[in-house]
Amino acid sequence: MNANLLFLILLLPLFGGALNAMAGSYLPRRLRGTLAVVAVAAAFVCTLLLWPLSAAEGTRITLFTWLQSGPLEIGFSILYDALSASMALMVTGVSTLIHLYAVGYMDQEEDTARFFALLNLFVFAMLTIVLADNLLLLFLGWEGVGFCSYGLIGFWYSKLENAQAGRKAFLVTRIGDVFLGIALLWLFSLLGTLGIPEVNAQAGQIASGTVTILVLLLLGGACGKSAQLPLMTWLPDAMAGPTPVSALIHAATMVTAGVYLLCRLFPLVSLSPAAMLVITLIGAATAFYAATCALAQTEIKRVLAYSTMSQIGYMFMAVGAGTVSGAMFHLYTHAFFKALLFMGAGCVIHLCAEENDIHKMGGMAGKSPFVFVMFLAGALCLAGLPWSGGFFSKDGILLAVFAQPGGWYRLAWLIGLLTAFLTSLYTFRLLFLVFAGTPRIEQHPHPLPGLMRWTLPPLALLGLAGGLINLPEAYGGAEALRQQLGSLAGTLTPVAHQTEYVLATIASAMFLLGALGAFGRYSSYPGRQQSLSRDFLRQGWQADSLVARVILRPFDSLTDFSWKGIDLSLIEGLLQTAAEGCLKNGERISRLATGRVSTYLAGFGWGLLLLLGWFLLSLAGHSS
Amino acid sequence: MIVPLSHLLIVAGIMFIMGLACTLARRNLIMILIGVEVMINAVGLTLVGGSAFWQQIDGQLVVVLLMALTSAEVSISLAMVVYLQRRKGTIEADRYSEMKG
Repeated sequence: MNANLLFLILLLPLFGGALNAMAGSYLPRRLRGTLAVVAVAAAFVCTLLLWPLSAAEGTRITLFTWLQSGPLEIGFSILYDALSASMALMVTGVSTLIHLYAVGYMDQEEDTARFFALLNLFVFAMLTIVLADNLLLLFLGWEGVGFCSYGLIGFWYSKLENAQAGRKAFLVTRIGDVFLGIALLWLFSLLGTLGIPEVNAQAGQIASGTVTILVLLLLGGACGKSAQLPLMTWLPDAMAGPTPVSALIHAATMVTAGVYLLCRLFPLVSLSPAAMLVITLIGAATAFYAATCALAQTEIKRVLAYSTMSQIGYMFMAVGAGTVSGAMFHLYTHAFFKALLFMGAGCVIHLCAEENDIHKMGGMAGKSPFVFVMFLAGALCLAGLPWSGGFFSKDGILLAVFAQPGGWYRLAWLIGLLTAFLTSLYTFRLLFLVFAGTPRIEQHPHPLPGLMRWTLPPLALLGLAGGLINLPEAYGGAEALRQQLGSLAGTLTPVAHQTEYVLATIASAMFLLGALGAFGRYSSYPGRQQSLSRDFLRQGWQADSLVARVILRPFDSLTDFSWKGIDLSLIEGLLQTAAEGCLKNGERISRLATGRVSTYLAGFGWGLLLLLGWFLLSLAGHSS
Repeated sequence: MIVPLSHLLIVAGIMFIMGLACTLARRNLIMILIGVEVMINAVGLTLVGGSAFWQQIDGQLVVVLLMALTSAEVSISLAMVVYLQRRKGTIEADRYSEMKG
């Protein structure tokens, strides 16, 4: 098998995106979408066919040298091992379905060339992150993903708030990118290489204190991209983009890039127990924070956005607890059911005539049983219905955190358990509010295109049966993903099956409690309630106004001071004074130039007198 | 040398001062030019005196050069005086103040 074919995985979406970007507006509408879908689907097929190359240590191959300067040599190269191959398979597979869905969703849209170009470029950038052999190439994909998400979130830019949401996402993730950039430069100066396998292999040479700081910097980058505390404010606003974008970027792929980065560099990350603990605690805090916020949201997509944040918190906990396979397992199942949920939400919004508010929905189950069943499948996975994909992956993470020694890990486990309860609660709240009862407003549904319907069942199947990817031994599975990842699977602490069953029972109880709680409260529509705590949660614990107060306003006053205080008053004032002084002096001196010969001659005379006086004085000085 | 150098310097100095006074005090262009001539000749006298005192030929050479230059200067300046008289009908120096800054 020719390893060079691996580059097709990357180049096909790039080609599709470039073609749509340059010539898309001249193509017929139907062709634009088809082109995008075919490009991504072909990449998926390539990934699948080239799967054998990922066996053992995987395949490393360089297309060309990208940068060369002294000891720095960066190739445009691919690392195709078990981790990146399985991730690439998930990304291309889910992306293909989402692209198909997008063709149906954007049917009425004008500017589809730009949309599909950005969508394809986004997949290219994401695959660059996944397949990159060195950290600089990964960083290229990292930034590409940021740019494409900026363009897609602000896709309907004629509305100012959409454009602002795009800008916010771009700027907030940029903060994380700065940390990542610093980490890369530092790694290069320490090790003299940026190749991922080399960095992982030589990580042991770095002093332990430095490793902790490095991992924390990487964590900063991951937090920005994955919307973890404290860089999480952009994700809820990013729902301003079209729904397929939310499904693609904010559920399946981009936000998981941070988790993937930490998994990719796990041998480095695992060298610092302190940083691992920090990762776990940040994950736990975000999971809890986002789950509480999701409880009070009134827009269907914002509920899902906060739940995404919360689930990614779980993945961070998994990385912190040392189980890469657990993190990746949850990443995959989450990608399936969250893409399903977002696409289902897109269908619901379509059926409600572009209405986003769940208080205005209701009775959707009767209107479209198909969408209801699909959404229910996704929701049950999210809530953690026993034996669904989400149940196994979440359980695996909680188990791994539980197995770690130390009080902090136990605390994180408790928070994770509480979050599982909250997850079930908000998921069923959403289900009841949207699907139960009778419609609460007059609706004029749009017809649902077939493409939007038939992309849902495969994802529902994948989500519900996702547990098979990595079925734990306690349930008779073989932990296929963990076997596949081999040495990349992280450091797992073995746990007795007995404990595993007990923990699973507790988790199931959490699921049931949440479901019952939501049933008791929302089975009949309770009406829109207003309270301070509700508003506080709905606005994400006032994170936005906190950021405004702590960062934006001081920054504003600093810039105001720099502008008015320093630039206008001091610098321009000084220059103004100097210029005015010169002007006045010039005017005064120019008055001497009368134009009359006699004045100048008098000047000569005075000059002569001065010279003679000078001579006389020096003569007197000599003689005395 | 028949005349002592100091006498010569005194005469030259007086001539120079007189020329200067004429240049500064008069407003008539021709009178100013005459003043300038007197000053130049005072300098020439000093040069000749110095040349005789130190028995050096250089001073006399410079004086010859000075005479040639003076004759050229006079011819140009007198031509300009004629021109100015034609243009403005006056040779009062203060009337020509177009170069005022």
